[in-house]
Amino acid sequence: MKLLTAYFTLGYPSPSMFTKLLKAAEDSGVDIVELGIPPRFAKYDGPLIRRSYEHVSRLGMDHWQLLKEARRSISIPIVVLTYLEEWVKNFTSFVNKVHEIGVDSILLPDLLIDYVDVFEEYFENAKRVGLTLFTSPSMPDKLIMRVSSLSKLFLYYGIRPTTGVPIPVDPTTLVRRIRSLVKNKLIVGFGLSLNDIADVLKAGADGIAVGSVLIQAINDGGVESVTKLLKELRGVIDGV
Amino acid sequence: MRDKYEPMVNTLNKYLDEILPNYWYNIVPDLPKPLPPPIDPPENSSRIELLQQILPKEILKQQFTIDRFVKIPDEVKEKYGVLGRPTPLYRAKALERFLDTPATIYFKFEGALPTGSHKVNTAVPQVFYAHTEGVDHVTTETGAGQWGAAVALAAALYGVKATVFMVKASYDQKPGRRALMEFYGAEVVASPSKLTKIGVEIVERNPRHPGSLGIAISEAIEYALENGYRYVMGSVLDVVLMHQSVIGLETMKQLELIGEEPDVLVACVGGGSNFGGFVYPFIGLKSSKKMEFVAAASAEVPKFSKGWYKYDYPDTAGLLPLLKMITLGKDFVPPPIYSGGLRYHGLAPSLSILIAEGIVKWVEYKESDILEAARIFAKTQGIVPAPESAHAIKAVIDIALQAKKNSEKKVIVFNLSGHGLLDIENYRSMMLRYQKQ
Repeated sequence: MKLLTAYFTLGYPSPSMFTKLLKAAEDSGVDIVELGIPPRFAKYDGPLIRRSYEHVSRLGMDHWQLLKEARRSISIPIVVLTYLEEWVKNFTSFVNKVHEIGVDSILLPDLLIDYVDVFEEYFENAKRVGLTLFTSPSMPDKLIMRVSSLSKLFLYYGIRPTTGVPIPVDPTTLVRRIRSLVKNKLIVGFGLSLNDIADVLKAGADGIAVGSVLIQAINDGGVESVTKLLKELRGVIDGV
Repeated sequence: MRDKYEPMVNTLNKYLDEILPNYWYNIVPDLPKPLPPPIDPPENSSRIELLQQILPKEILKQQFTIDRFVKIPDEVKEKYGVLGRPTPLYRAKALERFLDTPATIYFKFEGALPTGSHKVNTAVPQVFYAHTEGVDHVTTETGAGQWGAAVALAAALYGVKATVFMVKASYDQKPGRRALMEFYGAEVVASPSKLTKIGVEIVERNPRHPGSLGIAISEAIEYALENGYRYVMGSVLDVVLMHQSVIGLETMKQLELIGEEPDVLVACVGGGSNFGGFVYPFIGLKSSKKMEFVAAASAEVPKFSKGWYKYDYPDTAGLLPLLKMITLGKDFVPPPIYSGGLRYHGLAPSLSILIAEGIVKWVEYKESDILEAARIFAKTQGIVPAPESAHAIKAVIDIALQAKKNSEKKVIVFNLSGHGLLDIENYRSMMLRYQKQ
């Protein structure tokens, strides 16, 4: 079965709605959720996710409390998404906190880009929880090959330069290039359209990740819109 | 059979089809490290989103659909043939003799193309894609006019209009190139101009501003956005370097046919398109032999010795996303020097990584060195090199003389990215200046 991964910004649009969204996601057939902790500079995120970060930052919420509640309310795997840049000085205590809460993995989109020379060090330090690795088409084949099997749960492959912006790319070519290099479950994301979803799954991806479209659905119609969208996506990926 | 000492290497017709490649080569999957992605500034609107209104769709697609080999469309391949690809690879026998070096020197002559430089290799596919998408007007910037002339020609081939923002210092100094662009049918505007907001702003602050490539890029983009045209970019972007890979792929084949393998590859660097196009196939596809790669730049635009490797805007107004590259800063205004093509503040991100990792070495030369190297080349090989390409010649001369000292039979191959017949007034003014001293 193909995997459906759903991204939510921690506490967006409000703490109570956020918990409801997670439950709706689990009930709609989502396999894994990614929860984003707002960074100071979301450099690899597109406009929608950036605005969601600004929104929750203005509300000033307790991330740890929200993560605990998230863990209590759903039983599917939770991956915490944050930039290493934010935690580089106190990474071990960050990992420990995440571990205590019972989160399943950590995803650091900047790890293999800005910290590629020392990524193994962070890998070692994150051992208690484990790291889900983020890769992109601008990474060398050799690196993708080397890291793919180390990644916990799955390997994330972002096929556009940023999230939620429909830059024209050829998803089939992009997935084909790395499919044979990846000895792990391959999850593809970043700005996927319905056509893209069919293409990436046919090209050999094990699942898809959605984020910006969910933020848009939250903005448009809250839990109801999100449920509808996720059920539709579940149907699409099961139908491919 | 091929005579090893035949000066021109690819004259036999039966080899032509074999030499002209069917695919472009993209080095990104073979880089030593991940290419940092373009990013949006923390505030303001998304520059990445805006790209969709700036570049032809297929160019954007090629930029971000990173694949090692990309098929060259038949229509583009045909135009490459019309314009004279494959270009010749010559042996510089007379230069070798003059330097009395045991080294063998070859050069790929991109100056043989109609506008006198390699630039048309990417102008043709970019305008082709714009044209097939129904765009009838393209904009671009130009420094010395090499790129502008290439776009003017490509636009003429496809019956598309072109507006070229030419750095004011060059606009005034290079009426020849301006005339060439106009001859092909392009509209040429001195930058900073009054056609754009950024231009007006800069002229108001300094009516005698000499302009810069960074400013001209911003103007060309703003003008395209305002009018629904598309912008074509002459260097820096990975997709541009990929189109230019025809230079290196041909050279590889040509060397193979005569049984030579290079020890050193040399090209000059402005934004990095002729260097990348010429050298990348050798870096990424030939790992059997240890080779040296040398990038020759201008000491007056000292990006290698004084630049930083950081995120910066490719254009002065900041309309494009930030790229991680070696840069002197987007507001850098170079002195109005002789080789306009090297007067750019930044450097292609892929080349920046290769420099930072020490895979590509760099040298910087000042104007007087260049004048001497250019004259040696003209007096021995007969070709007046573009001042940009003369940087590569200077590096080759130094390497060949070093080989003489060490009695090394090195094979040196360089890219003569352009001829300098339209730069002859520049050379004349250099001669006058250095005679005085």
